[in-house]
Amino acid sequence: MTTNRSIRRVPPWRGLVLAVALAGAALAGSGALAAGKASTADHGKFKELQQSFASGPEVTKACLICHTEAAKQVHSTKHWSWEFLNPATDQKLGKKNVINNFCISVPSNYPFCTSCHVGYGWKDANFDFTAEENVDCLVCHDTTGSYRKLPGLAGHPPYQDTEIPPGSGKFAKAVDLTKVAQKVGRTSRDTCGACHFFGGGGDGVKHGDMDSSLAAPDRELDVHMDATGLDFTCGTCHRTSSHDVPGSRYTPVARDTEGAHIPGRQDDSLPATCPACHGQAPHKGGGHAAKLNDHTDVVACQTCHIPQIARGGVATKMSWDWSTAGQMGPDGKPMLKKDEAGRVIYDSKKGDFVLGENVVPEYRWFNGEVTYTLLGDKVDKSEGVTRINRLGGSAEDGKSLIWPMKVFVGVQPYDPVNRTLVTPHTAGNDDTAYWKNFGWEKAIKTGMQVSGSAFSGQVDFVRTEMSWPITHMVAPKENAVRCGECHMKGGRLENIGGVYIPGRDANPLIDLFGWLMAGGALLGALVHGGLRIVRRNG
Amino acid sequence: MKTRQLLLTALAAGLIGASFGAAAYDADWKRGRIYYRSVCTACHAAQTGGSIAPSTMTMAQWESYLKADKHAAGKDSLKKYVGKDYRASIRSQNKAADKFADVPDAELLEDVKAFVIKGAKDGDAPASCS
Repeated sequence: MTTNRSIRRVPPWRGLVLAVALAGAALAGSGALAAGKASTADHGKFKELQQSFASGPEVTKACLICHTEAAKQVHSTKHWSWEFLNPATDQKLGKKNVINNFCISVPSNYPFCTSCHVGYGWKDANFDFTAEENVDCLVCHDTTGSYRKLPGLAGHPPYQDTEIPPGSGKFAKAVDLTKVAQKVGRTSRDTCGACHFFGGGGDGVKHGDMDSSLAAPDRELDVHMDATGLDFTCGTCHRTSSHDVPGSRYTPVARDTEGAHIPGRQDDSLPATCPACHGQAPHKGGGHAAKLNDHTDVVACQTCHIPQIARGGVATKMSWDWSTAGQMGPDGKPMLKKDEAGRVIYDSKKGDFVLGENVVPEYRWFNGEVTYTLLGDKVDKSEGVTRINRLGGSAEDGKSLIWPMKVFVGVQPYDPVNRTLVTPHTAGNDDTAYWKNFGWEKAIKTGMQVSGSAFSGQVDFVRTEMSWPITHMVAPKENAVRCGECHMKGGRLENIGGVYIPGRDANPLIDLFGWLMAGGALLGALVHGGLRIVRRNG
Repeated sequence: MKTRQLLLTALAAGLIGASFGAAAYDADWKRGRIYYRSVCTACHAAQTGGSIAPSTMTMAQWESYLKADKHAAGKDSLKKYVGKDYRASIRSQNKAADKFADVPDAELLEDVKAFVIKGAKDGDAPASCS
């Protein structure tokens, strides 16, 4: 009864008003949501993406209907070719060609290594680099965080639930390609980091200044990427044009002599350098700031502003000894050994590791020139250390600055007869893969065949070293390296030659002699002046 | 007359549904990640002796936990800790609370939910607490 009375009291027009009001609210609500998004397109509304996709290349074909030039642009980048001809040295570099002292080399291990290629299907040397549908748009433009490419699938994501590693009982879920395709957006720390945080086969392994802690870092870890502050993405500094990302490790800009880049000014360069934003006199004010600015002609910004690497709670590998690989556990099966923090320090497949957190970098003169020891280059074990990459630079060349480096030490297989580094076939389920049969001879024979290089059949191990210029994990200025950490004996720059560093290079005897000379000169002037005054008065 | 009223009521009900549909919030798991780690984890680690990684529970467990809306073994509401009042109370010491001070409560809760579901043990990308 009460309800009926209530209904009777409501005039019919009030229902209409309510309906109109709600319609307005609905439209306003959707408009507000749309305005809140940075993108001007909702890819979920595109008919081309409103379908189920059976594979990554199918998604790419749909993307290319609108983004007609995107694949061609990607095809011209190092992200695609994994190849780079260094014009200064004529060395053919790129992931496809270089040897490192982490996982060593790509050839013969394609299906595993290419899980970080921006393409689909690079499983051997016959990969079609001209096919536009082979470009993987999603790996860089996923915003859902659910897109992942698994080792062994040659750059494909899992299209069905996949056990990884095989026999582990752990399954990676199939990627919902439609959902990912409809949610594409700008690149992010997560998309770049999906590969670059995990270089060398694990979180933080390779670089030391890049690991998963940078996905959502605080200010102390990186003052620019601080997720609650400036919130830079990788692309903020690596300002990409036509899918080409500046900031190559093969030809780094060690010394950017240009001024800050100013919006609106004609400027086609895209350096990923500190001066590109901060200019050549980054410290504002006089006095101490001016003295700091005096350092910029000798010291890279990174030297003071990245006091340690691996500061985000993720350890980086500092050394990797392949010569101890192959030891089995008591049960005769491959084993892992872990440190007290639960981190793997021995793996039968890979050998011994030394890990480090909050690592103080080493420092070297660096002018941007990098020369690699490539397959076929002669290696002399008697020299003690083979340098995987040699960095150019000196105090005298006018192009160098003192840079922080992660210096990574390896012990890796080489051919003692041909005296060359080798490219072992490590990953795979075939009988020659080292991680399957633990036999170096078979693994190297297969790998060298794929590389097209001679192998004597004998294996020895050589100590190697690789230097990685440090440029990420920039600390807040209050945490920068203090003056006294370099201007002292035994300080950070103890081994830097060719430059006089006050505090480090002082000689007590010379200092005493200098003070005596200065004091004597002052005393002489006072005596002389005093005598002149006395004699004039007289 | 009665028929007309019923029609209008049905229209209003339909538009209510439409309004919710049109304004359906698309949760931002990255914002949820920042809030979870900077507020939830930071407080748990400092005051209750340990943080809780999203990957410690399954998606179903997280759904159930969030739906129950019980914090500290039922002593108070979970929603309270993503609410504007709580954010306002800690914003001077917490940058995430400050940055997201004006985000509507329901949206931030959805953001956090999206992150923990994604980072659950059986989620798309199991996540640690840091």
